Amino acid sequence: MIELKGVRKRYRGRYVLNGLSFTAEKGNITCLIGMNGAGKSTVMKAIMGLVPVKEGQILVNGKPRGRWIYEKISFVPDHLTMPLSMKMSEGLTFMADFYASWNAERAAELMRFFRLEPGEKIGNLSKGTAAKYNLVLGLAPNSDYVLMDEPFSGIDLFSREMIADVFSSDLIEERGVLLTTHEIGEVEHLIDKAVILQNGKAEMEFDCETMRSEEGKSIVDVMREVYSR
Amino acid sequence: MRNYLKLLHMEIHRFRYILFALIGLTALVQMCAIAFNAIGEVNKRNAYFEQTGRAPEEFFAAMSYTRAVQETQFWFAVPVGLSIAVLVIYAFLIWYRDWFGRSTFAYRLLSLPSERRNVYFAKLTAILTFVFVLIGFQLLLMPIGRAIFAMIAPADQLQPSYIADAIFANQVFKILLPRSFAEFFVNYGLGIISLLVLFASILLERSYRWLGIVYGLAYAGFCALLMVYPLLALGRNYSAGYFYTEEAYAIQMAIDALIVVSSVWLGLHLLKKKVSV
Repeated sequence: MIELKGVRKRYRGRYVLNGLSFTAEKGNITCLIGMNGAGKSTVMKAIMGLVPVKEGQILVNGKPRGRWIYEKISFVPDHLTMPLSMKMSEGLTFMADFYASWNAERAAELMRFFRLEPGEKIGNLSKGTAAKYNLVLGLAPNSDYVLMDEPFSGIDLFSREMIADVFSSDLIEERGVLLTTHEIGEVEHLIDKAVILQNGKAEMEFDCETMRSEEGKSIVDVMREVYSR
Repeated sequence: MRNYLKLLHMEIHRFRYILFALIGLTALVQMCAIAFNAIGEVNKRNAYFEQTGRAPEEFFAAMSYTRAVQETQFWFAVPVGLSIAVLVIYAFLIWYRDWFGRSTFAYRLLSLPSERRNVYFAKLTAILTFVFVLIGFQLLLMPIGRAIFAMIAPADQLQPSYIADAIFANQVFKILLPRSFAEFFVNYGLGIISLLVLFASILLERSYRWLGIVYGLAYAGFCALLMVYPLLALGRNYSAGYFYTEEAYAIQMAIDALIVVSSVWLGLHLLKKKVSV
């Protein structure tokens, strides 16, 4: 389980995260929802230790973070994180060189699934292809959790469908996924749990299935309620 | 260690085209300068012979590679200066290129399951490797230049030259390729200290952004002041001062060591705890 307890992060004079607490469990797809600037990406970066947090605790499987988490958690940001001069195959070799959890077979399988050409330069990739390549880098390791920041942002319909297919495949099963997206409608049926961020806090944390069956509300309905308060 | 070496290899690999371009430019400019100088000398001698009918060695001194290097030192200095400028700029870029642009490799580097200090030391060693590769290549070029010079100059008018003399004939090489180890230690030591201070300042900026620029400049200024303080306080002529030369030297060394330790510590601390993407 990834657990945030009272996390605070200041940015340009204001608290982007102001005592944020929530959990993301293994085997679940958890979606972080919030308006632009709500701090969704900051949460992901904070979990990965890419931004320092001022206060609070971030625990992974009950333990404070250390460099060991990078074998347990994969991060798929909304942009490329490999040098543009590298070929895709070189990027895969880089990952295999550094990550003990890297699964080369799965990487090859994903490259085939997304129809990616290993010899192509990363710098030449279109936005959609780059997003698919990012997913290869994030899903190939045998990690327990995958963090995905806006995996559908600026991507064409067919690429979105391919990426959405991944969510219902065995590549995601058993793992914990923490996701941010503005395209709630497209993935709503896949999400197990939603965390609505507002004013740097988790305004609401709920099980989507329970919300649907007991209160008859979709995630968007709940969002409307929260933001209209 | 294995991860450090892999990162070092990657850093060198990323700079390879610029490094090869600098090597190629240095070879081209310096060897052309030597060749044109030798051809010019030979032409002068031929013209003298044609005009006077007398042997040129009666009027001209023997052709010497050392003198040719001295006469062409501007063209020797141009690629060297350019290489230094490129390396100074790259000392910034080696960090900033990972933070800015379409691809932010810093995300990946900072989430590698190895110690972050490997990233720091790989970048540091990469810059030093580029410096010493270029210096080594420069040393290699000197005998090649001498061979080119000897091929053009008539054998009976050629005065043998030592490479060490040729190196010393060039003002730039006096700093870059000093004759004594002590000078080498001081010159390159100062260069390495400056690089460490620069890395610490860059990481201050990457950690605290706008405020970090102020911190970085203040830290660099403080280190510079600390380094020149013994010179200001004790004067250049130590023997005339309160301290013995050895004592003044020890003070300077202690200050330098302090700057090295504090810069490395600060850089590693920031990279581990404070830096953000």
